Amino acid sequence: MSIVPKETIEVIAQSIGIPNLSPDVALALAPDVEYRLREITQEAIKCMRHSKRTVLTADDVDSALNLRNIEPIYGFASSDPLKFKRAIGHKDLFYLDDREVDFKEVIDAPLPKAPLDTAVVTHWLAIEGVQPAIPENPPIEAIVAPPDGKKMDHGKDDSLPIDLKLPIKHVLSRELQMYFDKIGELILGRADTPLFKDALLSLAKDSGLHPLVPYFSYFIADEVSRNLNNLPILFALMRVVKSLLSNPHIHIEPYLHQMMPSIITCLVAKRVGHQISDNHWAIRDFASKIVASICRRYGHVYHNLQSRLTKTLIHAFLDPSKALTQHYGAIQGLSALGPSVVRLLILPNLETYMQLLDPEMQLDKQKNELKRKEAWRVYGSLLLAGGSCLYDRLRLFPGLLSPPDILPWKTNKKIALTNLPNNKRKASSRLTAHQPPTKKLAVDPTGTNSQFPSTDGPATSSSSGSNPNHHHSHNSSNNNSSSTGNITNANANINNVSGSGAHGQRVAVSNVLRQAWKEDLDAGHLLSSLHGLFGEGIFSFIQPAEMHCFI
Amino acid sequence: MEEEVEKAVFAYLRKKGFRLTEIALQEEQTRLSSDASSLSRSESDAAKYYDGYGKLRSWAYNSLDSYRHELLRVLYPVFIHCFMDLVAQGHMQEARTFFQTFREDHEMMHLRDLQKLEGILSPSHLEEMELARLWRQNKVKIRLCQYSYELLVQYLHKTQSLAMLGVINEHINFEVYPGQPASMSDDSEAVFLIGTSQDLAREINQKELHWGLLEDSVEERMEKTLSESDKTEVDGNKEADTEDNNKKKTDGNKHSTAVNNKKKKDKVVGATGKTIRSESSMVSVPPRVKPELTLPQFPPEVEQSILEDLRNRVQLNSLALPSVSFYTFLNTHNGLNCSTISHDGSLVAGGFSDSSVKIWDMAKIGQPGRASNPQGENGSMQGMHSLASDEAKRPYSLLQGHSGPVYSVSFSPFADFLLSSSSDNTIRLWSTRLNANLVSYKGHNFPVWDAQFSPMGHYFATASHDRTARLWSVERIQPLRVMAGHLSDVDCVQWHPNCNYIATGSSDKTVRLWDVQTGNCARLFIGHRSMVLSLAISPDGRFMASGDEDGTIMLWDLSTGRSVSPIIGHSSCVWTLAFSCEGTLLASGSADCMVKLWDITSSMKALKTDDSKSGPASRLRLLKALPTKSTPVYTLRFSRRNLLFAAGALSAGS
Repeated sequence: MSIVPKETIEVIAQSIGIPNLSPDVALALAPDVEYRLREITQEAIKCMRHSKRTVLTADDVDSALNLRNIEPIYGFASSDPLKFKRAIGHKDLFYLDDREVDFKEVIDAPLPKAPLDTAVVTHWLAIEGVQPAIPENPPIEAIVAPPDGKKMDHGKDDSLPIDLKLPIKHVLSRELQMYFDKIGELILGRADTPLFKDALLSLAKDSGLHPLVPYFSYFIADEVSRNLNNLPILFALMRVVKSLLSNPHIHIEPYLHQMMPSIITCLVAKRVGHQISDNHWAIRDFASKIVASICRRYGHVYHNLQSRLTKTLIHAFLDPSKALTQHYGAIQGLSALGPSVVRLLILPNLETYMQLLDPEMQLDKQKNELKRKEAWRVYGSLLLAGGSCLYDRLRLFPGLLSPPDILPWKTNKKIALTNLPNNKRKASSRLTAHQPPTKKLAVDPTGTNSQFPSTDGPATSSSSGSNPNHHHSHNSSNNNSSSTGNITNANANINNVSGSGAHGQRVAVSNVLRQAWKEDLDAGHLLSSLHGLFGEGIFSFIQPAEMHCFI
Repeated sequence: MEEEVEKAVFAYLRKKGFRLTEIALQEEQTRLSSDASSLSRSESDAAKYYDGYGKLRSWAYNSLDSYRHELLRVLYPVFIHCFMDLVAQGHMQEARTFFQTFREDHEMMHLRDLQKLEGILSPSHLEEMELARLWRQNKVKIRLCQYSYELLVQYLHKTQSLAMLGVINEHINFEVYPGQPASMSDDSEAVFLIGTSQDLAREINQKELHWGLLEDSVEERMEKTLSESDKTEVDGNKEADTEDNNKKKTDGNKHSTAVNNKKKKDKVVGATGKTIRSESSMVSVPPRVKPELTLPQFPPEVEQSILEDLRNRVQLNSLALPSVSFYTFLNTHNGLNCSTISHDGSLVAGGFSDSSVKIWDMAKIGQPGRASNPQGENGSMQGMHSLASDEAKRPYSLLQGHSGPVYSVSFSPFADFLLSSSSDNTIRLWSTRLNANLVSYKGHNFPVWDAQFSPMGHYFATASHDRTARLWSVERIQPLRVMAGHLSDVDCVQWHPNCNYIATGSSDKTVRLWDVQTGNCARLFIGHRSMVLSLAISPDGRFMASGDEDGTIMLWDLSTGRSVSPIIGHSSCVWTLAFSCEGTLLASGSADCMVKLWDITSSMKALKTDDSKSGPASRLRLLKALPTKSTPVYTLRFSRRNLLFAAGALSAGS
């Protein structure tokens, strides 16, 4: 009947020394106890409201008891919420875990830190109705557009934060200074902690960091030049750059010229980090992505941004005296800028470059294993660049493909079939596996594996391929090795096939598609030349359906 | 078996000659048997309530669409009285089941009342609980249209449900009106007034209310000096404000000069353009009234500063929004109960649950080298502070004297005094110059929730848990007036700008306006659905805004007592409200960490255009929502120059 069961009354009676309370009394008391509880709660809620809180505390209950002239309950005035524990064996019985405290313990314990004294700080919540983007205000995203605020737009744009005019003599608030110091400390010392992740998030989200941007850009430039052989720090710095770039409240364009050199350094430096032990490929890849995102975002503002960048990179790429690591960085940077850049700048130079690269990759010509590995890396990145360019070209005409009415060449069909379930990743794993046989057929599978122990960069990403997969693809490529072993032969074959394929298709398709077909032919030529240079590894970039047309 | 024993007993008693015992035994037997029969009868009674109400409910829900909402209104009082009847007859168990079964129907409208009534578990509680007693002692008035009433009567007769008929006859008064049922949206009628019948409210609200501004105020004098040059326009404008009410006759000539003044002022602030002029010419100029209290005179230098402020006032409207300066209290450890800001924003005071009051001087906080010359230019203050050297280290002045949580603080108009009210039943007056307690006012018997200085200083009003509001003057330790009438705690109090009225908001969900001279209730505003937490009266004295626990904001026309329809302005308690100096904007601050700005002029215009009662009530228009960083907004205050100050305590861990 009452929400307070009579058992509770009995238990309470026992606890205050009334051992044999008659059940009738308990039954009669229960409703009254409930009523009193509600009464106290109601008064406590009043006290809570007048303390301008929305959470009821023990103090409020004490005040309510005071109001009713009842002695307050002592010992519950804790600021943290009470922790109730469930009594073992009882479903609805809870108790407070009231630990016994040793006096000695309390006395010996060091004094707790004195709580900070109350203070008042002031800031502008709004200036003429517009919230300035300062750290004291919540981020702009938090503001939901008022439901009927549409009438507001009388030539006034409220959604944009106003740019605070910075004084000439730039005074940095102490909070911002502390923030900056903390971030710097995290970058240089503790970049692997979760705290750093939070810091990055804060850099990417918080408004009001704008005054710090010049300091950050200087800091980054300084630290990159100083820590070129400390990979973790470089990585941390690049991540900071990325966060700053992604922060919507920061107007970073004026500082791009300070940041770009540092990023390009990370991309094409001769030595980044420790050459052997560190995975410096990863930071080059990361830097290439940042560069590409900058070009995408600010390319339209600074027209010469991309051209200057590509000039720098192509210089690095075409200079044979530069190290292979630099070449790798340049290729990565260029390919991140998009397929058209690759087509215009890399592909024309590809053949000559491959002649340069070829000897570096061969076991008998390049004895230095590290160099050879680097060469393979470069090869991989070139393959990826060319392949993605090709993929992009082929994607332009997806509707064209009716089932081919001629039977593809038999052995190549088999390749096509093995390629069918391929996604890029698997293809590339296959590619690294079968490349050696095309160049050097004597290498056995285990040898291949041992040759690429640390290829975990995203460019080749072969480490993700599992071993059986590895063997399988290796086998399949071995089967085909007779057809693909001779490059010129295959090249000729492909040319033939594409020619005949074009012929066959021309009968089938209508005239309307003729223009598109011309493009297709271009792509076919591209494919053939790429195939000439890379072997059948390039096939993995072609979608299976299109494969049929060319084979 | 039993009968045999009984017979044997009777035979034994007769044999022994115990006549009296025999009679007593017989009496007891008859009483027992009648008890048993009455018990069974009352049990069927309980079932009757349950069935009767259930049937009535399903009938009401299945009634004709256009009459349904009227008939549904009948259900709530019937429900409450059925429940109370059951409790009164002692059927606890049945009452509980009854309550739980039908509770949901009314939860949306009357959740808070239900939560209170739920606790009633015995007839004695009915007596004890205020709300229950009010229900029992007063009849509920329900307006029904002719046909709805006939439907209801027919139903009751046809079904012969006597229990329902009894409840309805006993506790409900029907006010039948001819014609079509009222529209659904007109739900101010649906909220039941308990304790005071709606007639009383209407009667109160028909009293005359002099809502105008004080004559001979500083503002008026300023306008006068500006308009001295041309008095010729007076005649032309005399008829301009036709919509004005009967007060026009009483002080007509003053009125017209005011119009003239207003126009003149607009010319002075002509830089702000035509929009303002047209707006202000539409808003009627408030009439002037004489003060009912003897009011203090401002010293000349103070007057000068007011004039300076008035000259520099920024015109605000829906296009020109104010700047908001926010004072954030840090490290309050959940102890800040209230705060207030002086008119010029230079002083900020906070009342804490540890009984202390702290005052920050914002002018000094910005200054470097405060430690070397801690207390500025004032010699007397330096003298005070040399006594307590450690006080100089603090950036604030600490006022200790209360012995319970401080629930409100209020600055006098020129910030030379501070009032604080506390749960120790006292109000204290502090001097901000001396940093010392001057007076302790004792009179309330329970915690004092709110204390507010009058706009002219010298007088102040307080609101307390003892259900009264009181009027005091600073120089007397006894209250001048006691305003009694609220049915529950008086939670907030606010002065009318002309100092002739005070408004109080209460936990009984009503707002009242009191005449300070007579101490009588001059207006009663019904419409809130929960405890009223904040009040503000527009500077022209015509409108009042009130905010409640659920985040609803209501705007009231003081002269008619009617409301602009309520809006759910916030998702949580509305702690504070403030009108801008021209009354064009309303700012509201809430526990949901938002400051919202509302357009008043449009709703005022709407009020004027459709003056007929049937017209759709206009709503406040939201101009801007300004979120804070997890800081509930405790206080809002427009300075005389129309800068908005806000204050709140940063609540960490939200």
